[in-house]
Amino acid sequence: MDRQAHIPRLTIWWMLGALALVVAPHLLRLPFWISGLIVTCVVWRILIFSGRLGFPNKFLKMLIVFLALPLTVVEYRGSGAGLDAAVCLLILGTVFKLLEMRQRRDMLIVVSLCYVLTMVGFIYSQTIIAALHALLTFIVITGALVTLQRDNPRSSLNNNGKLALRLVAQAIPLAIVLFVLVPRIAPLWTMPVPVSSSKTGVTDEMSPGNISRLSRSAELAFRVSFENDAPTQDQLYWRGLVLDFFDGRTWRRAGSAFQSYEMIERFQNRFSGERQGEALRYDIILEPTQQSWIYALQLADFDASDILQDRYFTLHTDKPVTQRFRYKMRSYLNNETDINLAGVLRARALQLPEQEANPDSHQLAQTLRAQSSGDLDYANRVMRYFREQPFYYTLTPPELGAASIDDFLFNSQQGFCEHYASSFVYLMRAAGVPARVVVGYQGGEVNPFEGYTMVYQYNAHAWAEIWLEGQGWVRMDPTAAVAPERISLGVQAVLEGQSGFLEDSRFSMMRFRNTEWLNTLRLRLDAMDYAWNRWVVSYDEDLQLQLLEAIFGDKAKQALLYALGVSISLFFMIAAFFLLGGRKRDMRDQATRLYLRLLADLANVGLRRQRGEGPLDFANRVAQDRPDIAADMTRVTTLYVCMTYAEDRQEESFGQLRENVLALRLRLSSPWRRLVLRSIPAFR
Amino acid sequence: MNPIDAVKPWFSSRVTRWLERRIPAVNEVSLHRKNIFILPTGPGLFFLTATSLIFVTAINYVLSLAFGLAFLMVSLFILCILHTFRNLQHLSLRGVGAEPVFAGEDAVFVVLLGRQPDHTHEMLELRFPKNIWSQSDILDNEQERVKVFLPSTRRGLLQAPRLTVQTRFPLGLWRAWSNVDLAMSCLVYPLPQAGPLPRLVGGSTSGKPESVKTGVEDFHGLRAYQTGDSLKQIAWKNLARGQGLKVKQFVDAVDDQLMLDWEMFPGIDYEERLSRLCHWVLTLAQQDIDYGLRLPGVEFTLGRGDAHRSKLLSALALWQGGAL
Repeated sequence: MDRQAHIPRLTIWWMLGALALVVAPHLLRLPFWISGLIVTCVVWRILIFSGRLGFPNKFLKMLIVFLALPLTVVEYRGSGAGLDAAVCLLILGTVFKLLEMRQRRDMLIVVSLCYVLTMVGFIYSQTIIAALHALLTFIVITGALVTLQRDNPRSSLNNNGKLALRLVAQAIPLAIVLFVLVPRIAPLWTMPVPVSSSKTGVTDEMSPGNISRLSRSAELAFRVSFENDAPTQDQLYWRGLVLDFFDGRTWRRAGSAFQSYEMIERFQNRFSGERQGEALRYDIILEPTQQSWIYALQLADFDASDILQDRYFTLHTDKPVTQRFRYKMRSYLNNETDINLAGVLRARALQLPEQEANPDSHQLAQTLRAQSSGDLDYANRVMRYFREQPFYYTLTPPELGAASIDDFLFNSQQGFCEHYASSFVYLMRAAGVPARVVVGYQGGEVNPFEGYTMVYQYNAHAWAEIWLEGQGWVRMDPTAAVAPERISLGVQAVLEGQSGFLEDSRFSMMRFRNTEWLNTLRLRLDAMDYAWNRWVVSYDEDLQLQLLEAIFGDKAKQALLYALGVSISLFFMIAAFFLLGGRKRDMRDQATRLYLRLLADLANVGLRRQRGEGPLDFANRVAQDRPDIAADMTRVTTLYVCMTYAEDRQEESFGQLRENVLALRLRLSSPWRRLVLRSIPAFR
Repeated sequence: MNPIDAVKPWFSSRVTRWLERRIPAVNEVSLHRKNIFILPTGPGLFFLTATSLIFVTAINYVLSLAFGLAFLMVSLFILCILHTFRNLQHLSLRGVGAEPVFAGEDAVFVVLLGRQPDHTHEMLELRFPKNIWSQSDILDNEQERVKVFLPSTRRGLLQAPRLTVQTRFPLGLWRAWSNVDLAMSCLVYPLPQAGPLPRLVGGSTSGKPESVKTGVEDFHGLRAYQTGDSLKQIAWKNLARGQGLKVKQFVDAVDDQLMLDWEMFPGIDYEERLSRLCHWVLTLAQQDIDYGLRLPGVEFTLGRGDAHRSKLLSALALWQGGAL
């Protein structure tokens, strides 16, 4: 019988366990019929194993494969990126292989596929939970390999699990060193990235109700850590997009051409003027948005090559942000931009719908402008108008009619930030003051444990920028006029208790922020997640260099390869020392080694063997000096003498000698040394 | 002729000579750094391929954790060198030897595996080149006996070739092995070949060997009924007990000694003569008589018993060129 073809029975359970762990995170994500097919195959395999069903015959196998393949292709036809479909086929392939797994070779293929599938999980999630899950999966897959190899009485769930755990635990130190030191290479070729259909965060259109919808969500938008002190809440205006085209109801980006990456790249425009004041340095980790713009404070400057800045000094990436994206920024908060407003930009900043649908608003603008001494005075008057009229800041404003601005200003007077920003910019433009809407986030919550700022979806905000002669673009936030505490205290202080706030995040811990310990837990968990993302998930070339420079100084790059080589050989040597345990002599030599170690420990407590003193004489002397260990000492010495002088039964007495010597040495040692003796076999 | 075929014998003789110097033939071998070899297995290379696939994906999708996974796999792969090596290290092998067999049978070599007190060895596989694997572990016992099979083809002293001992434990990614020569041999008797014992030159006149001539006087035992047997000889009592139709055999103790002689089979070739003699030695050993053997140049006097039988069979096995 060829032993290599035989599969130990226990293996199949390990195999199924590993596969279940690997596939589980995908089950909910995959189309339900595929998930059903996967579960069916696994159950079938269990039935085969218990002898209640046979292996599927050739015809049935063909049928399954030829039905599943085209169905998968059809299922994923619309999704563009081929990755989802590829992942689906890989999972199906692995599961089908399960149904025809009869030989050791098949098992090995399935095991290797399981390792690859573990990696596939990371494409979709790289959280701490995902990492722990993957580690567990890794141990189980390794356990399956052990079980496949081990066909003896020692093979049991417990033993094989322990061995797999030990192997993985021993492998982790080197894995960490490799993770830190192996040079990270830039992607070799561009890959299709799974684009989730559900885009999150601020959109590139603003119509009434659009931003208030975001306040239903307690999801994280991004985290920021400032190099020095964080600015105050009222300075945290995270600019996303500038919307300067108004059609009477919705604000959009002017000219659809500017929405494509090519156009943005062609018209990209780094700020070239003089930067004023101190740079505010910070580091953002943006959650996936599936959108291609990113957020920063006013007048951002950066070094990254994969970020573009457009004419509005907003920022774009070359492809949608599908994974957490980390970027460093320098912002000059009080910098002036566009001191001279050129023709096209001015025209855009003054654009109004061709058909005048809001005559009352127009009238109001004319009246207020006539009373004002200048553009700035006019803007302040409009702000005062918002403050003094009975405007109400609410998440659930009434529906607006066709003349949305008029209806809001004179009729409902209830609205969220988008209503105020929209009508403010309208009033500005109606009076000939260049103005535009900016959407993004405002504020953020400081995590007291790690000192970074968390910005949530409900921090989404819209405000205005107006252009003033000699000053360039100036930020104006009409919402601050209506609800000043929205800006100074943060959105949750104002909206808490309002129906609709955080409504979509019913189970979010954010809803329990008033229970202190839960809130502490929430902040701690977030801090942990943040550290994980900062140091592990977004560990890249820069961070690597930074870390190495901290260790090796200027020569970090040259030192890298040496460090890598040295650490791999060091790992190998240390592991070899503990696993292979140096040279083993025969048992008599080992007995002497044990005895000598005991003598060294005795010498430490003042009992030194004299030159020429025999083991038995020495034992007698020890017995007199230390009656408490007399019995043990005598037993050890007798065993030792027997072992060195008697020929037979060596193995048995060696085991006894070893145990007795260890027990005696433990009694002689300090607590610290006792711990070392207990945990590291090499010192025994 | 295939150029590889041309190089092969030269290469394998070089390897053999090198092995002989590195692991000389001794009865007891302990495995250590110098006589254990280790290389990745096919599945091990497949594992590495999967690792590279994960690594490339990690680069292209910039997946930090996938890097971590790939590195963990590399680390595990490296670590397995030590674990697989450790599974053979300090294993001692002692050749016990093999019971004599008849040509064509499998020689069963017994190898005694021993371990150091703090080492265990799992999933060990032993075999002679191109033969079947025998599997063994040494877990709790200090020693373990393993039987390793080697087919014998011709009579003589079968020298055991180098014994391969290997293991893939714990993950099957690496194969550690050693080729040890335990200096074992097995005595192979000629294959017994039945045939009539011809008339001795100047000896007995009977066509059958004198000592076993079937007679009517002494009851010798039972044998199965054959057509033509006398009804008087049927063992009726045994038939009544349901033990089938048996015939009582009686032997006439015409002679209680017999000398087998090389010259009994004139005109038959040497090996077949030895086979026939072997058959008769075995047959006579079951009878209650003294027998002896005369080969050209050697003569074994009459005797009986197991030791005598073995002595005669060995002589047949080793006679003239039997020792390979």
